[in-house]
Amino acid sequence: MNQNTASYKVKQYLMFAGPGTILFFGTVIVPFLYGLYLTLTSWDGTSRSKPFVGLENFVNAFKDTTYWQAMGRTVIYSIFAVVLINIVAFALAYLVTSGVKGQNFFRAGFFVPNLIGGIVLGYVWQFVFNRAFVAIGKAISTGTTVSLLSTPNGAMFCLILVSVWQYAGYMMLIYVAGFMSVSKDVQEASLIDGCTPAQAMKNVTIPLMRSSFVQCIFLSITRCFVVYDVNLSLTKGEPFGSSVLAAMHVYNQAFTYKNYGLGQAEAVILFLVCAIVGVTQVMVGKKGEVEA
Amino acid sequence: MKKTLALILALAMVFAIAISGTASAADPVEVTIFNSKMEIQDRLLELQDEWNDTHDDIHIDVMYSSDTVAAHMSTKYASNDPYVISMVDAKDIYSLGPEHAIDLSGEPWVEYTSQAISVGGKVLGFPVCVEARGILYNADAIEKVTGEPFDPTTIRSTADFQALVDKLIAGGMEAPCGLQKEDWSLGAHYLQQVYEMHDDPDAFIAGIKDGSIKLIEDPVFNALMDAFDVMKENNWMKDAPLSAVREDTEMMLAEGEIAFKYGGNWDWANISAFDYSENMGMMPVPTDLEGYNEKLVGGGSKYFFIDNSVSPEQQEAAKQFLNWLVLDEAGQEFLVDTCALVPAFSNITLPVSDPLGASVKAFADADKLTANYNYAPDDHYAKNGISFQKYLAGQIDRAGLADEITAYWATAEVGAH
Repeated sequence: MNQNTASYKVKQYLMFAGPGTILFFGTVIVPFLYGLYLTLTSWDGTSRSKPFVGLENFVNAFKDTTYWQAMGRTVIYSIFAVVLINIVAFALAYLVTSGVKGQNFFRAGFFVPNLIGGIVLGYVWQFVFNRAFVAIGKAISTGTTVSLLSTPNGAMFCLILVSVWQYAGYMMLIYVAGFMSVSKDVQEASLIDGCTPAQAMKNVTIPLMRSSFVQCIFLSITRCFVVYDVNLSLTKGEPFGSSVLAAMHVYNQAFTYKNYGLGQAEAVILFLVCAIVGVTQVMVGKKGEVEA
Repeated sequence: MKKTLALILALAMVFAIAISGTASAADPVEVTIFNSKMEIQDRLLELQDEWNDTHDDIHIDVMYSSDTVAAHMSTKYASNDPYVISMVDAKDIYSLGPEHAIDLSGEPWVEYTSQAISVGGKVLGFPVCVEARGILYNADAIEKVTGEPFDPTTIRSTADFQALVDKLIAGGMEAPCGLQKEDWSLGAHYLQQVYEMHDDPDAFIAGIKDGSIKLIEDPVFNALMDAFDVMKENNWMKDAPLSAVREDTEMMLAEGEIAFKYGGNWDWANISAFDYSENMGMMPVPTDLEGYNEKLVGGGSKYFFIDNSVSPEQQEAAKQFLNWLVLDEAGQEFLVDTCALVPAFSNITLPVSDPLGASVKAFADADKLTANYNYAPDDHYAKNGISFQKYLAGQIDRAGLADEITAYWATAEVGAH
């Protein structure tokens, strides 16, 4: 059989990738396009009529100051979280590949938080912040101890801390793979040539691991920008709406305030911002990749 | 050969689907019920099993979601898969009912209730229960400190309340009051009293919108805030009011560590889980507002509506189920005894067992309930709840709170009714 005909290729594609393609279209592409259509309506979420309003929702989205406050908060949260996640993950990866005793146990241990769903994790940490830390604070000081979650900055700090705790283990695995992929030869060669271990790390190992950094930063940026579960179960946007991140604002706008079209338009904007940041980062990161 | 086999299989599948689609006449009618009252979900599931064992004609299927009611309904309607009977909040009847609910005007239970919701002359909402807001008190705890029996009818002004609170503090109760930080408690339950305690809430809101009424000068607002301030000053979580956990406050009240909590009879579901005192009850928010300080605020809460897009048999079966709840003895027992709800129907005479519910029933029977205002916009509780949280935490003062509420109403519109 000629393997170069179009019909052969189509058949092969349908056989292997067909089911996946159909599912992908059904669950991602179609809802996405339908969502884009909904941004052009003033639908309330339940009514049978979806009045067409053109680009009004986008105009209103740009005027929605609470949305842009939430967006600003998300950017700040993402910057802190992404930097910390990657620093911690890299440090952990370094430790668990350096040959310490029981390093497989540590790898598994640091990865576990990632296996717990964000909702559960949020509630667990809420308990820790509201009860455990407050009880400890009361025990060691005489003054009143307030839960971190009840102050605006404290709540943001808690969100960042929990995100770092959750994702560092996952990113650690990617860094571990990165460390393993760097050939021992070049590291050894650099040491023989007179590098200190720190110089070898900076000039040899890290440049060779660049693709791991690109991946990890991309994953953490995209996850941080659309975080919702931890936000919901840990702070619920409190105190007084000061920890509402962009995704939560979108949900509230669409479902709680029943401005489905507006919420959807804000979701599209969030998606665009996230996509632009993510893609730019990957492009910049890929440019400097080197091979041994 | 293979092709024929595939064809046969495909035909068999189509046939199987077709058969399952055209149910035979002997099959029971399927009635899906959406429950949005978390505390009775277990009881409803028990009812479902019992009902399905004893009824061949109607099969009920109870579902629950912890999502916001309006949000959950919108996902069901967006996927074109509505429940036959849905339990929603009063405001949802106004927003969903005209388009999705059937008219229940001809039902026998209508004459027994004053709490059904009608829109445009059609009865669309069946009241599941009566709930009311006010101050929850623990009489045993008060008596233990003051040494005198507590009579809630003696508290008819903020000054009376303040005096009693002072007495309790002098007697050794550190902080006698409890307040919740939740936006629904502050923004919906407490703040809405400002509208509800006006004789014409619509006119009042219209006045705020057009600027003819200054909220900060309004006597009702100020009276309610005065009472709130007493609770705020004597809140057991005064130092960190926004870390107050609802269950903790309920436990403190149940065990008599505090004497008062702002809330409603729904709190009983949690209080009964603790080692509670016998003599508890509800009293009005102690304001200086003549008349209103003798009444709790409340009325019908949680409404059933029947969807109009389901089959006529399902609608009929759903009506039968609602009739059973009100008219059948077993249904009445289910509402009052099993679920511990305060019934909204005058023909149900079973005594309410829990003390908070009994209080509400006593106020309702004496016609001492200030009606709920059900037409606030969907974002009202959340946005004003945030402002109220700021006030509770001391970030803004009363004037600041009034400003934020006024600013909210500048763009918000009251729901159609």
